[in-house]
Amino acid sequence: MKKMIASIALGTLLVAGFLFAQDNEPTELAGELEPSIFSVETPSFFF
Amino acid sequence: MIEIGSFIKLQRTKREMTQGQLAKGIVSLSYLSKIENKKTEASSEIIQLLCTRLGIQLKDGFDANIQKKCKEWYNMLFEVNDKEEIISTYKELQAVMDENLTDSLLMFEIHKIRYYLIIGKYNEALTKISDLNEMSGSFDNLHQYYWYKFRGNYNSANGDFEQAIILYKSAEERLNQIEVEEKEIADLQYIISITHSKLRNTLESIEYAEKALDIYMKEYYFMRCAQCHIVLGISYRRIKMYDKAIKNYNLARHLGELNKDKQVIQLTNLNLGYLHSARGGSKEAIHNYLEVVNDLEVDLNARLTSLTALIKEYYTINNVEKTKQMIEKGFELFEQININNNDTYRIHYYVLKTYNYAINKSNSKFENLVINELIPYLKEHKDYANLVVYANMLGNHFEELSKYKDSVKYYKLANITYDELVNL
Repeated sequence: MKKMIASIALGTLLVAGFLFAQDNEPTELAGELEPSIFSVETPSFFF
Repeated sequence: MIEIGSFIKLQRTKREMTQGQLAKGIVSLSYLSKIENKKTEASSEIIQLLCTRLGIQLKDGFDANIQKKCKEWYNMLFEVNDKEEIISTYKELQAVMDENLTDSLLMFEIHKIRYYLIIGKYNEALTKISDLNEMSGSFDNLHQYYWYKFRGNYNSANGDFEQAIILYKSAEERLNQIEVEEKEIADLQYIISITHSKLRNTLESIEYAEKALDIYMKEYYFMRCAQCHIVLGISYRRIKMYDKAIKNYNLARHLGELNKDKQVIQLTNLNLGYLHSARGGSKEAIHNYLEVVNDLEVDLNARLTSLTALIKEYYTINNVEKTKQMIEKGFELFEQININNNDTYRIHYYVLKTYNYAINKSNSKFENLVINELIPYLKEHKDYANLVVYANMLGNHFEELSKYKDSVKYYKLANITYDELVNL
């Protein structure tokens, strides 16, 4: 009985993990780069 | 005016004099200690004698010139400016400050935090923060504003964005009690926007980027406008408003092209590539990433971020040959960097090694690296986004090897971290 419960729990977690992986493509999460906080220049005029 | 006691203490410690050496023949040691700790007010004669021993002159009508020179130096404290010039102006000012008692001294000392950050001396910046902390109780509102802002800068530079945002907000609270130029207000708003973006507080990031953008547009700071558009592009992509994100990226790129600013153009390409990647547009993503990787003028961090993104993209579409090519290119770039002295690029190095082991099916090396180095590193740096990615990758790896127990462990880690990331 204990083994069966353990297998079901493991199976559920595995399925949840798989579904999570499907729902959340890794590329959605990391890799964007913000500009630096220390960069600035003087005002520019294009006209 | 700076508290005279704090000033004397600052100058004495700078000259490595003991209290005994300074006090000898002028006042008792305990009296000097009281003066320095602001527990008593000394007579002007005693102050004069102490300053003479310290080699400091007390001049009248001298402050306007120093103030002007200081302001010029404060305006130089950005990374785009010539570092040699920043350092030489600093030395000139320091020499003046060492010999004169001026109102500008405390503000100059506070700006040193920023100065050390700009020239990359983070430890000196921290030491300066500790030194000033003792006298921070006597700061007026303007001093406090910069004190909070620059401490926030220190935390930003060290990747502690949670602490940074608290300090920036404290600086922001001082804004209605002081008079500063519009561009200074915009700078703080821009910094807050970037910090919220790092923390993935998307709506707050948009709010502050738009506030800063309003001012920068009025003041013709077009490159800062472009940078605000990049932050807006990132934020709108995160809430899946892709059209708005693309519009902002296009505006950023247009401004970058008008000003011939390669950094802005390629930063736009990098983030636009990421947007395409997130929408499954590998071809467009690869095109954008390659533009950045092949541009030698772009700063190394942007090139490495693009390169690792490219590796992930090729790996995802199972292009083994290209993945290997890019990994090799990455290792070539790392030959220029001493990874032990530079934490900025460490994450990229881990990513390169991870994909190198993954593509070559070096299973035990891959597991060892991700479990024992990469995941602890990401946890330590609270880099939840990458933690989700690599815990997930590891879960997937174990699943393919039919090691379900291990697989569950890392899927679960990814799951919990994802909750943390979206603040569920």
